Amino acid sequence: MADFLQLFISGLATGSIYALAGLGFTLLWQTSGTINFAQGEFVMLPTFALLAFSAIGVPLPAAFALTCVLAVVVLGWGFKRGIADPLLRFGSMPVVVATLGLSIALRNGVRAGYSAEAHPFPSLFGDDVFRIGRVAVTSVDVGTLAAALVLVLATQAFLARTVTGRAMQAVAQDTTSAVVLGIDVPRMIFYTFAINAILACAAALLIAPTYLAKFDMGESLGTKAFFAAVIGGFNNSRGALLGGLVVGVCENLAAAYVSASYKDAVALAIFIVVILVRPQGLVGQRVERKV
Amino acid sequence: MTAPVLEVTGLVKSYGAIRAVDDVSFAVMPGEIFGVIGPNGSGKTTMFNSVLGQIKPSAGRIELDGRDITHLSPLQLSRRGVGRTFQSLQVFGRMTVRDNLIVAAQEHRGTMLGRMFAATDNGLGPKADALIDQFHLREVAHRRAGELSYGQQKLVDIAMAFMSDPDLVLLDEPCAGVNPVLVDDIARLLRDLNRVRRRSFVIIEHNVDFVQKLCHRIMVMVEGRAMAIGTPAEIRANKHVLDAYLGN
Repeated sequence: MADFLQLFISGLATGSIYALAGLGFTLLWQTSGTINFAQGEFVMLPTFALLAFSAIGVPLPAAFALTCVLAVVVLGWGFKRGIADPLLRFGSMPVVVATLGLSIALRNGVRAGYSAEAHPFPSLFGDDVFRIGRVAVTSVDVGTLAAALVLVLATQAFLARTVTGRAMQAVAQDTTSAVVLGIDVPRMIFYTFAINAILACAAALLIAPTYLAKFDMGESLGTKAFFAAVIGGFNNSRGALLGGLVVGVCENLAAAYVSASYKDAVALAIFIVVILVRPQGLVGQRVERKV
Repeated sequence: MTAPVLEVTGLVKSYGAIRAVDDVSFAVMPGEIFGVIGPNGSGKTTMFNSVLGQIKPSAGRIELDGRDITHLSPLQLSRRGVGRTFQSLQVFGRMTVRDNLIVAAQEHRGTMLGRMFAATDNGLGPKADALIDQFHLREVAHRRAGELSYGQQKLVDIAMAFMSDPDLVLLDEPCAGVNPVLVDDIARLLRDLNRVRRRSFVIIEHNVDFVQKLCHRIMVMVEGRAMAIGTPAEIRANKHVLDAYLGN
């Protein structure tokens, strides 16, 4: 039982990072109809930016703030203006294909231009181990889970409890109506891209100490975050949280009790089952097409 | 002499060789309820969308309070005090009725930075509550708009257009798909809203009885052209209108 609980908590910590990255998928989809398959690389790039700032002696909190600013400009504004805006007028498929290409380009760009090696990354939460009864819990797991939950819930609160958040929801539900009501739709879409970029920076800060900074770190993360978002419900930002936690816990338990070789297949298996049984996701809403 | 709130001169919208709107001119005076009727495909909604910046007119000039608005976007027009409703429902189904009303006016208040972290009411709660009462939506105020009946959603849709205190509201078929009792309610509400603030309305509607009872003047559109403009009595007596539209 102690092993199970340990695996469960560690799975929640990993799942919360999937949730952070998955939340980006749902936000972009809802406001702009964009699926960004370079989402994993959007986490990898800030990891290397953090490393680069640290290498020149910038303290971690300041490096994180600078990375967030850089990410908002490059991964938020740059991605929107350079890829999403010009391609969205042709439908969502060109954006999907472009982001697939972008992910390959970013991965190989970092490998060729920076390093193909895995780099250690400082942890925010130390390496203490707590014992609760017979269950050993690491400070990294607790800190990661707490930080990711706070970020996801803060994003939720921003969307639900502020004027701008509600305007973003309005854009997600009906763009035409939002325009007529005086909502600046392009600006709301930019806010979404900016939030996604900041969440990616936070995910980088949380995941890199465990999985190390490596050019291909985003490949698996991006795929699992996508599965998490679909499993939870692509049109519900709470769904990303639930989906992330489900994937994180299940793959951890499967690795321990079934086989570590199948760990990465767990998310795919859950994804397939959900698509077949409940295509709108666990907490997503069925969307009817307007005639 | 009072200047018109909205003045449309020589409006044309062409799609290739087809003129969906063909040299239409009219003026809407302050406090006037101006009806637009015409058979399906007569260019009413295309004219509406051209006036509201949703599609670019091929020719013509549109003025709001004497200022040229021909090439303004829907967003700019909304911020200049022009409201509109659509033929189809445009409520935000996953928000409550009250939130729908607040979101309809929130972008007209405060600064961009202020709105970023302002509480969700943004000072609009009392205004929303007043409209909720006026439109008899109190019982469903905290239910999601998507869960309401079509008629109730239609009322929410119309109420939203009035949240930002617009001087001019364009309503596209407000009675489409609603029962006769609600049609009377909508007419009464619009009459009240017109009387209190002397707001001007332009209403596209197929329900000729509704238009004749509510509107001060009516424009009849046939095949993209304005066939006649006049008071309800003048339109009723117009032989061309009776022949071409009412099938007399």
